[in-house]
Amino acid sequence: MNLLIYTMYGCPFCLHAKAFLQERDIPFQEIVVTPGSEEWGRMREKTGSGSLPQIFIGEENVGGYAHLVHLEATGALYEKLGQTWRKSDTPLYDAIILGAGPAGLSAAIYTIRKLMKTLIISKDVGGQVTWTNDVDNYLGFSQVNAAELVAKFESHVKTFGVERVIGKNVGAIDLAGRIKRVTLEDGKTYYGKTVVIATGGSHRPLNVPGEKELLAKGVSYCSTCDAPLFDDADVAVVGGGNSALEAVLDLVNIARRIYLISLTPLTGDSFYQEKVRHSGKVEIFTECRPTRILGDNMVQGIEYQSLKTGEIHTIDVEGVFVEIGLLPNSSIFIDTLATNRKGEILVDKECRTGMAGVFACGDVTDVPYKQVVVAVGEGAKAALSAYEYLLNQK
Amino acid sequence: MEKKVKIYTTSGCHYCQQAKEFLTEKGVEFESCDVGADKAAFQEMKKISGGARSVPVISIGDWVIVGFEREEIEKALK
Repeated sequence: MNLLIYTMYGCPFCLHAKAFLQERDIPFQEIVVTPGSEEWGRMREKTGSGSLPQIFIGEENVGGYAHLVHLEATGALYEKLGQTWRKSDTPLYDAIILGAGPAGLSAAIYTIRKLMKTLIISKDVGGQVTWTNDVDNYLGFSQVNAAELVAKFESHVKTFGVERVIGKNVGAIDLAGRIKRVTLEDGKTYYGKTVVIATGGSHRPLNVPGEKELLAKGVSYCSTCDAPLFDDADVAVVGGGNSALEAVLDLVNIARRIYLISLTPLTGDSFYQEKVRHSGKVEIFTECRPTRILGDNMVQGIEYQSLKTGEIHTIDVEGVFVEIGLLPNSSIFIDTLATNRKGEILVDKECRTGMAGVFACGDVTDVPYKQVVVAVGEGAKAALSAYEYLLNQK
Repeated sequence: MEKKVKIYTTSGCHYCQQAKEFLTEKGVEFESCDVGADKAAFQEMKKISGGARSVPVISIGDWVIVGFEREEIEKALK
């Protein structure tokens, strides 16, 4: 089937469309029009539209550049062209986004709206937002359930019809060349002109004896998940920031007594500190360092050392909730990208990593303040920088 | 024969939600219970999992998986 494209001099989307066809070895006939010309009149008659480009496959008007990209992504383009064997082609993505938390999903909105062919690869959807119950500080929502917020993010991205690979781990990555290669642990490989890293963070472990052994046997990193299993029990929460205080509040109506153990004075928002102090259920030990989690097959206690006196104490508890911050999910990039001593990827104000065509955003980067709203903004910036980079490549 | 699948969850647990979606996508029928509200189910969950105090716990036939581990679930379903 023949492909015909109406173009006009100086029209950027006409250039995009032609480059798109050339890259894929799709032959086309081009008619260059100027407004008011005879050919332009004929095009308007056939399409009912004066916008450019206008693309025809055989007699069918398939629309402009955006429609072309969409048709290819869905595989319908090759069907219409009668090139059914092309379906198995390894596609080349304009952007591969690693991660589907707020940063990655926000980046996807921006790349798709720039008509970049986008693929999201992620272990899960939502990232750390899903670790909390409610989000109270996201603009436009005075209080929103975290799962609902993630569902809204996800469905927003889905309205644009992005390709996604969810539930897979990246095994190897080659970022150096002009075409980047991402290989999953199951061996499947994807190619992209740019990569946006939005892999977020994981719970930082305490690294004390007993912690690994008693994981899921009283040791937990998810208070929203596991708090209901500590009905009328004595528990400890380790940490002094917002996450630790929120964990205390998740437990406050369930547990009998809560011991909050923090290495530093409490650093979380005063709003949360007040709530915790007024609950009447919480005993706070600051400037104390947990040294061991006790128990054979179940958590039975926690041992900690006071930094002021050096004395070692133990408390009997059935649960230990660890909320001491994040480890950036950057281990597969550490050999190729610059990181700080926390392992966060260094980025400039345009989310560039120093490697051409590789951008990073959200909690995996050294950008301060790990907040949903910050990650969303950084995701948008990374996507726009990737778009800018591609424009300059042409 | 189809293996019997049961998932033990709590209401605020997003991993449980994801695990349920995963099973649904795979076309697996399952029974779900909220161990935060149902004490008997919590006791049952502890018993079959060797004392787990963490959700989700998923029992598939004779297998018991603690946590949302996609590959483990796939293996157990085979």
